Amino acid sequence: MARGLRLSTELVAGVLVGAGIGWALDRWLGISPWGLIVFLLLGFAAGVLNVVRAAGVPPGDT
Amino acid sequence: MADPIHQFKIESLLPLGQVGGAHLDFTNSGFYMLLSVGITAALMLGATASRRIVPSRIQSVAELAYEFVADTIRNTIGEGGMQFFPLVFSLFMFILVSNVVGLVPYQFTVMSHIIVTAALALLVFFTVIIYGFWKNGLHFLNLFVPKGIPIYMLPLIVFIEVLSFLSRPISHSVRLFANMLAGHITLFVFASFVTMLGGLGVLGWFGATLPLALTVALVGLELLVAFLQAYVFTILTCIYLNDALHPGH
Repeated sequence: MARGLRLSTELVAGVLVGAGIGWALDRWLGISPWGLIVFLLLGFAAGVLNVVRAAGVPPGDT
Repeated sequence: MADPIHQFKIESLLPLGQVGGAHLDFTNSGFYMLLSVGITAALMLGATASRRIVPSRIQSVAELAYEFVADTIRNTIGEGGMQFFPLVFSLFMFILVSNVVGLVPYQFTVMSHIIVTAALALLVFFTVIIYGFWKNGLHFLNLFVPKGIPIYMLPLIVFIEVLSFLSRPISHSVRLFANMLAGHITLFVFASFVTMLGGLGVLGWFGATLPLALTVALVGLELLVAFLQAYVFTILTCIYLNDALHPGH
């Protein structure tokens, strides 16, 4: 369970940061909803990257 | 049934005054932080007071803790990481001792508040950034540019790497906080089943042995979790500090 919790927090953290930055950019630049869309997807990718790294997959195998 | 969240309530023990409309208080959380620091300091000072070749019991505890953290640093960062030993060792002992203190019945668990774990995670995060730029200069930014990526993919990859870097303090802090919070709520719920069933009469007493056995088992599990989460926090700190020392992967 500890491993599952660890990997899930990695994924959620990436998505949260992406969504947060996208939302802030929307508010700041007034480009809603494009910042949220783009950065949520980037955040998801970053979350997956986090999970792959946390799971200890060697770099050549991905 | 009593409220399982009530055990995490922050209470003011000693009002210290106000700064800009915000109350400054010496709270129960602050008290248990001081207690953890005090226990750690007493352990270390007591262990090194009479240094012997054949260690006394308390001295071997301190030596074990030192060796454990030093080995973790050497294995993840290498010999150059030993300059961070004071930081990593302080973090490990603080988290471990406050987790174990929190397991004693009626004691407050400092790490069950995300603001505490977030402060520790941000401390590591900013240490990595500041030390990384100070040591490597702009080469630190190589951290965000993996080798062997085609040039047309680079802008996308760099964005993803930066987001991945920024999400570190979140997962770093949430893991410790969530484990301590969930563990203590589970313990409380099972322990309150014992009193609820015990109030039902003779048949309830027999029923109550089941959650009682589970509570005993859970305390053992929580002791493991208290140690394991301190270790996980420490090893992640080492991995992140490794990026500050060797940003080129």
